[in-house]
Amino acid sequence: MILSVLGGVALVLGTAYGWTARDHRDAELAALTDRLAQVEARSASLSEQAAQVSELEAKLSELEAALVAAQEEAEAARQAALAPTPVIESPAESEPEEDTVVAVADGLEFGDPEQGKAVFGQCSFCHKIGQGAQDGIGPHLNGIFGRRAGAHEGFKYSEDMSMMGADGLTWNLETLNAYLENPKALVSRTRMNFAGLEEEQDRADILAYLRQFSASPQNIPEAAPTAQAREVELPDDILAIVGDTDYGEYLSSECKTCHQQDGTDEGIPSITQWPTEDFVIAMHAYKQKLRPHPVMQMMAGRLSAEEIAALAAYFGNLD
Amino acid sequence: MKLNRREFVGTGVAAASTLAAPIVHAAGHGKPKVVVVGGGAGGATAARYIAKDSEGEIDVTLIEPSRSYYTCFFSNLYIGGFRELDSIEHSYGTLAAEYGINVVHDWATGVDRDAKTVALAGGGSVPYDRLVLSPGIDFVEGSVAGWDLNAQNAMPHAYKGGSQTELLKAQIEAMPEGGTFVMVAPPNPYRCPPGPYERISMVAHVLNTSNPTAKIIIADPKESFSKQALFEEGWQKHYGGMITRIGPDFGGGNVTVDPAAMTVDIDGETVNADVVNVIPAQKAGHICDAAGLTEGNWAPVVPQTMQSRMDENIHILGDATNQGDMPKSGYSANSQAKVAAMAVRGALTGSRVFPAKFSNTCWSLIETNDGVKVGATYEATDEKIAKVDGFVSQTGEDAALRKATYEESIGWYEGITTDMFG
Ligand SMILES: Cc1cc2nc3c(=O)[nH]c(=O)nc-3n(C[C@H](O)[C@H](O)[C@H](O)COP(=O)(O)OP(=O)(O)OC[C@H]3O[C@@H](n4cnc5c(N)ncnc54)[C@H](O)[C@@H]3O)c2cc1C
Repeated sequence: MILSVLGGVALVLGTAYGWTARDHRDAELAALTDRLAQVEARSASLSEQAAQVSELEAKLSELEAALVAAQEEAEAARQAALAPTPVIESPAESEPEEDTVVAVADGLEFGDPEQGKAVFGQCSFCHKIGQGAQDGIGPHLNGIFGRRAGAHEGFKYSEDMSMMGADGLTWNLETLNAYLENPKALVSRTRMNFAGLEEEQDRADILAYLRQFSASPQNIPEAAPTAQAREVELPDDILAIVGDTDYGEYLSSECKTCHQQDGTDEGIPSITQWPTEDFVIAMHAYKQKLRPHPVMQMMAGRLSAEEIAALAAYFGNLD
Repeated sequence: MKLNRREFVGTGVAAASTLAAPIVHAAGHGKPKVVVVGGGAGGATAARYIAKDSEGEIDVTLIEPSRSYYTCFFSNLYIGGFRELDSIEHSYGTLAAEYGINVVHDWATGVDRDAKTVALAGGGSVPYDRLVLSPGIDFVEGSVAGWDLNAQNAMPHAYKGGSQTELLKAQIEAMPEGGTFVMVAPPNPYRCPPGPYERISMVAHVLNTSNPTAKIIIADPKESFSKQALFEEGWQKHYGGMITRIGPDFGGGNVTVDPAAMTVDIDGETVNADVVNVIPAQKAGHICDAAGLTEGNWAPVVPQTMQSRMDENIHILGDATNQGDMPKSGYSANSQAKVAAMAVRGALTGSRVFPAKFSNTCWSLIETNDGVKVGATYEATDEKIAKVDGFVSQTGEDAALRKATYEESIGWYEGITTDMFG
């Protein structure tokens, strides 16, 4: 139990080095320290729970053994008697008990929305949520529960996501949980650059957080909770540069050695169809070495503001 | 843009200096013709970019003897059991069908630079306005005493993709218990600086599970090698004691092999080996020499355009070139191809030419989920392609970062092969 919780911390730290890191380093560090404290606090109560679980597990195997024995007994009795009526009392007795245990193990439940808010930090560069949230690199997530996959109007989804929606995929606790655990296992060529949340608890927490913004518009809290400071503060004249798409196309050939034009994403994130400003901010964050990835720091490091704008214009308008 | 040649001569910024005189098209009229020799990392990329970006204004012919290209990149992962052979095999179908490239499966045997034609082994010749050569490497004869191409079945090099790689893998898997694997590593410069050492890692990975008492010996003529600290750290950590490297101080550069006896003599000491992987010294693919474009073992090029220093109508890419600071890698060849494609289009159709930008990153796998990388960016100066900035993975990185690095390499492989073959 404790080990798997620590694994969760490693996952978060790992993400901080990887492609999906998006927050300002300081903010990230603060969030991580915060989270570490929370995890430490939780680990105590978890070891208690672990003891309870092993107790339950022991009980379960006892019951299973009893069930098998009972079934064998019943079978033997039936064969011996050659009677048409099977003896089922014993198994019937143990079954309800077993069902309860299984239901607890498999049951999906909402976790703690406050924790979920912290976990959502990883998602918030691409996904906005709360009052006034707009689509960005990913669609906004207000009202995600009950929404059909790939169906939020005005957002350009990957082909696979649209197809899954057309085939009937609708977001609910179960489907979102599966998607967050391993996005590509559910929607194989999704454009979402995210490896997945390994920890069941993290998923339960984040889903509890998302759920708050889904009941109906009135339920959305007043203050937009993800309204964030920009990752890098850029002077307006840099944000105002209109990119030269032709130049962007040439420069993009360098990106395309790794980033696939159609948005396919396997270990290297998709960068097509990002809103221009998000693209510019992300590249300047690498250029200023605020984002950690060494290849991207190097690539962005030698691009001028004009060149970054050119790339943003080119990739933003790709079909 | 629908300029004809006379209108665009001199308009290409970077290529202007090379267009001293108007060039008459190969056939005298019709579309400009580009011939690309070699359908590998450099050639396939150049052919695809020229065809794609000229939108039918340039006739592109690709000459490549093989119907399938097996990438050398990730061939070590195939040896290690991390990839299937068919996952590193690529065909030219899309280049022909979707990009309208005329793919000719034949060897180029010579270049008539005055007539501007390429001779084919199957007979006949193909005219060009611009020729792109990306033939990869050949081996320097006599560089490993006792070894020549006739010995490549007994002692494979596996330094060109496909059957040689399969052979080496089969030999490793058939090694007797506690057997000995010897690699004769190449001197600089050679294709893929970390390649031999990634291969050692993958061989150790296989033997460590199937044949843990086996031994690996590297006879190396080089003082040091790419990502050395990272490899040595990984070997110690994952394969402690299995790998011994004999550097030049201990005679690692003084090697004679006997393919019939399966022995390797390292500085007077004879090793009985079960598998010997000889990676000889290398030089530009033979066609460069045949066309009179080499100086020493390699073909010198103009950094801004990748044109041959000896013939402005010929661009040379990838491993075959002497260009400056870039390592000989698939990534480099792909990067150079895009610069050349832009220069070729600029010269032939007057399209815009931007300043050349080059880059490279080489990922290597040391053990399951233990990936490392090294990379740099480059720019064109008058005398060479010069390094601007670079980075390398650090020793002691945590497991999550190493795993992410490995996963990134998988994404890179998908990216670059799509960039080459469509
Ligand atoms: C074990 C190993 C691992 C590697 N790993 C990596 C890696 O991880 N990353 C990386 O970036 N690079 C890697 N490389 C290096 C990479 O494979 C080469 O640098 C790259 O292939 C060079 O491209 P090229 O176009 O110069 O030559 P090639 O890709 O070799 O292509 C040359 C082509 O030209 C054809 N040809 C040759 N002569 C003629 C002729 N006369 N007529 C017609 N066709 C001809 C050949 O058939 C061949 O298909 C590795 C290499 C090896 C050996």
